[in-house]
Formats: sequence, C-alpha cells, structure tokens
Amino acid sequence: MATAIHNFQFVVRLSMSNGIRRICRRAYSTRKLTNAEVRRKRVELFDAEKQRQLALVTRVEKIEVRHKGVPEECTLIMNKDLSTPFNCAMHIHELLMNRSALALVNGEPWDMHRPLERDCELRFLHFQDEDSRVLNNAFWRTCAFILGHVLETAFKDEYYVELCSFPPPNVSSGSFVYDAALNIGDWQLSQTELNCLSRIGYRLSYADLKIQRLEVPVSVADQMFADNRFKQEQVSAIAAKSKSGATVTLYRAGDHVDLSSGPMIGSTAQIGRYSVCAVHDIESPTFGKLQRVQGLALPTQLTMHSWTYDTILRPRAAKLNTGPLPEMRKTQTPKELPAP
Amino acid sequence: MLKFPHRMRPRKIQIAVGAGQEGRIKRLRQIVTGLVRYERVEPTYAQADEARQYAERLLYLAIKNGDKHKETMEMADYWLLEKDLVHKLFKVLVPRYKNYTTCFTDLHKLAVEYPGSGLPRAVLELRGNPWPPIVPRQRDTRYLLSNILLAGARKDYHISKQKAWEQQQQQQQETSSATLKSSSSSSSVDSGIAEIDREVRQEEGSPVDEAAPSSKSSSSGPQSVADR
Repeated sequence: MATAIHNFQFVVRLSMSNGIRRICRRAYSTRKLTNAEVRRKRVELFDAEKQRQLALVTRVEKIEVRHKGVPEECTLIMNKDLSTPFNCAMHIHELLMNRSALALVNGEPWDMHRPLERDCELRFLHFQDEDSRVLNNAFWRTCAFILGHVLETAFKDEYYVELCSFPPPNVSSGSFVYDAALNIGDWQLSQTELNCLSRIGYRLSYADLKIQRLEVPVSVADQMFADNRFKQEQVSAIAAKSKSGATVTLYRAGDHVDLSSGPMIGSTAQIGRYSVCAVHDIESPTFGKLQRVQGLALPTQLTMHSWTYDTILRPRAAKLNTGPLPEMRKTQTPKELPAP
Repeated sequence: MLKFPHRMRPRKIQIAVGAGQEGRIKRLRQIVTGLVRYERVEPTYAQADEARQYAERLLYLAIKNGDKHKETMEMADYWLLEKDLVHKLFKVLVPRYKNYTTCFTDLHKLAVEYPGSGLPRAVLELRGNPWPPIVPRQRDTRYLLSNILLAGARKDYHISKQKAWEQQQQQQQETSSATLKSSSSSSSVDSGIAEIDREVRQEEGSPVDEAAPSSKSSSSGPQSVADR
C-alpha cells in the first residue's frame, strides 16, 4: 500500500511542471508551516540581502587599523567595509584568531565578523581577560540566540515553534533565557529530553559556525519574520529605535537567523559546555502564554569541574529566571530586546 | 609601633664559631646597612627576621624625630656602618615613608638551596624599591564568567540560609506561644507537632492521637502521585 502511494506521488511529481510544483508547495506551506521551511526562507533572504550589500561596495578603499595588545602592537592596512577584526587577527597571530571572541573598535564592542568602516584602533577580547564583563554579556546573548536554534531544530515538523524574544543578558542570574511558544501542548519535557536539547547546542561547538551580523531594511526583515507572529510585531519597533530609523540588526549562525542588537561572540566553537536546564510556563502581558526555556553554558576557554557544574550551577539554572517578561510597549521599543 | 607581627625573643643565629654576642650584633648592623644601601638583601631567614625589626625601628624614629634629634642621630650612626647612608636615611627614605600606614619592609621566604648551607633563606627589602617585584601581580579573576556564576550561586545560597533561619525563628516563636496557650488547656500535646495536630483536629473533628496524622498522609498519597 505504502509503495503504491509513493509511486503515485512519484508519477504526480514527474508530471508536474516547475511552476505548478512551486504553487503546490506554497499552498501546502500556508496550510501547515514547519520550522525547517521558515528557516530555509530566512537563510535565502539573508543570503540575497548580503549579496546585495556586498555588490554596493564597488571600489575597494583602504583603511588603517592600529592593533593594541599582545603579541605586538602593529598597524594593518585593511579593506574598508570588507575586512573584519577576524581578518586582522588572521594577519597577526593564530592564537588571536582562535581565542578572540569580541573586538573593541575605538573602545566600542564590535563583532569579530563585522566589517570595519573607518580608520580605527583595535583590541581583541577573550574570556580570561581581567575585566571580561562586556564579553560575558555577549557570550550570554549568543547562548540565548543558540537556544533559539536548538528550539527550532529540535522538534518534529508537527510542532511549529515560534520564538518570541530573550531578555537582556544577566550572567549572575545563573541562566540565559529564550521565551518562545513551543506549541507542544501538555508535553512536559523530561530530563532526558532536556539533555537531548542540550546535545544539539553542544554539537554546534564542533560545527564551528561563524556568527555573522547584518543590518537589513525593515522590508526584508518583515518578509523574513512574516511567519512568526511575535517577531513580526517587534521588527517595526526595533527599526524605529535604530540609528537610521529603518534598519534591523540580524544575526546568523549556520541556518539560524534571529533578531538581536548584538554584539555576539565570533564562533560557536567558543561555546564549551551547553545545557538546556528547564522549561517554565510564563504569561506575557502582550504575547499571552509562552514558555521560558533556560540554559547554562561555559566558554571553551574556561574550565570547570563537573561536580561544580552539575551540582551547583545546573540546579540553579533550572530555577525560574526572574528576568523581564516579553512585552510590547506602544510607540516604544520592546523592553525584552537586549540593548547593546 | 612595629606594624607587622614580630617575635620579641632573639632567634638562634649561627654566624661563626666563637663569634659571640658581638658577632651577632655586628651581623645585624651589616644587614641593616646593606638594606638601606641596596634596598634588598638576601640573608638567612632568622637573620633577616631579626634585622627587620631594627631597620623598622630606625626608620620609625627617623620619621618621628627628624634629623635634628640627638638620640635618633646616634641611633642612625650606630646602625648604619657606612656614614653616607645617614643622608640617604633622612633625605630619601624619610620622605618616601612619611605617609605610610603600613610597615616599611617586606620579608619573603626563599626556597632552601641544595646543595648549600641548608639554612632557610629569605629576602628582606624596603618597600617602594626600584627592583622588579618579587611576588608577581595577581590576575583579577573576579569577572571570569565561571566566577560570576559561582558568586551568584554563593549569594543565592546565603540568602536561602538566611530565609530558612528566619523561618525557623518564626516557627519557634509561634510554637512557644502555642505551647503557652495549650499548656493552660491540655499538657499532653507535643510542642513540635502542635500546629499539625491542630489542623488535623479542625479538619477531622476527632481527638488527637497517633493514628490520625498517619492515616491522613496515607490517604493523600495516591492523590499526590496522580498530581505529578
């Protein structure tokens, strides 16, 4: 019976022209959305927008980048709007390339894969710096962003997970958070299932995905997040708050694209341990019932005994995080979106 | 006066066979002189430990009395074998240590040399000297991500402890007041379970006995499992 159906589909697919097939797929997607489809669409839009922006740089101009710090202070001549701090690190030392998670450009936090715009002074940050609070926040934000990836990829197609937002990073609260509508009904995730989620995040450190930043116009962002009722509402509010008034900052790791004001760390290889600790039900004043998913992570560069991690930090991360609830304010940016 | 922990009794100092008390004092003067000259000396631990007190005392008096004070000048003349150092004491070291609230010297233990005399060695130095530091600067690890997490956990733990303690105090107060009340009516009720017993009595309307709480817990057992 099953083979018969398969054969039938095969025949139908063969007989359909390309256009009809696309229409069919679209009709299907409006009937029942899946995360995989939505993600594919977002990545395609992201790529197209990136290509468009790259095409705008028609003439390669040179800028002077003065590097401060170990192993040596030097001046590099780099390409304007093309070269990133990561490229600078490649020129200087392999150690800088691997361990640097964030750059300071004229004292301002700057993503490792964000092109430099003018002559500047450059410093690299890593997790064992004396005062790594800026980087810690960036790491925590990245982990929440990755949690979004985990939630969107973990469940079967029949569960359509809608991500909402994550509160500003607060490391001392003990856990990072992603608020989302998981749409899984009464299903309470067991410890084993949480471990499975953790493993998805943990595996990303082997994938070594670089985390890219892109500023896109509102129209593109609207198109990208049209399938997510929460993000859809947030896009315009975020754009209103942005410098130019009509752009939104996006981040991408692998095939995951999300809204965030950044900054974030350079690569998923810098995330060492990663655990999804708990899922709590919350009630947002504007978005209704949501789930607050909490996790805990450590950078690859920092080591910790498993006893400390499993007995002290993980149970603490499983307690409900009292960070601000997702909320939309009228004529203002939503509170939940992380400030830079 | 001396701003560091010190021992008031003399140490066992081996200088040479038959050197005697004079030899001992001579060695201490040599060390104090060397300290003022070079600002860092490396005698044995016992010698350094004892000479330190005299050096500190000399500096203290120099700061306190200045170079117009006769006794202090005599003291400097006695401890500093090389007389050009008297000028250094008053012109260089006194201005340096005038505002110090701590002691003026540092004493560090060194590893025992082998093969060698076998005596424990030490470094005695004046603070604020121009040499590279002996103890490397400790890195501040407060803001490492792992340490921030652990500090947060520690804080939570102390808060929970405090809360538990407060609750316990409150309960004790309540139970003591309850026993005071109940002791006037019936003396058989145990103070520890007075609260529970009273609730049970209200719900079931039966006199207090041993079986009542246990039967209640067994009846509520399956229900609680079902809730989970």
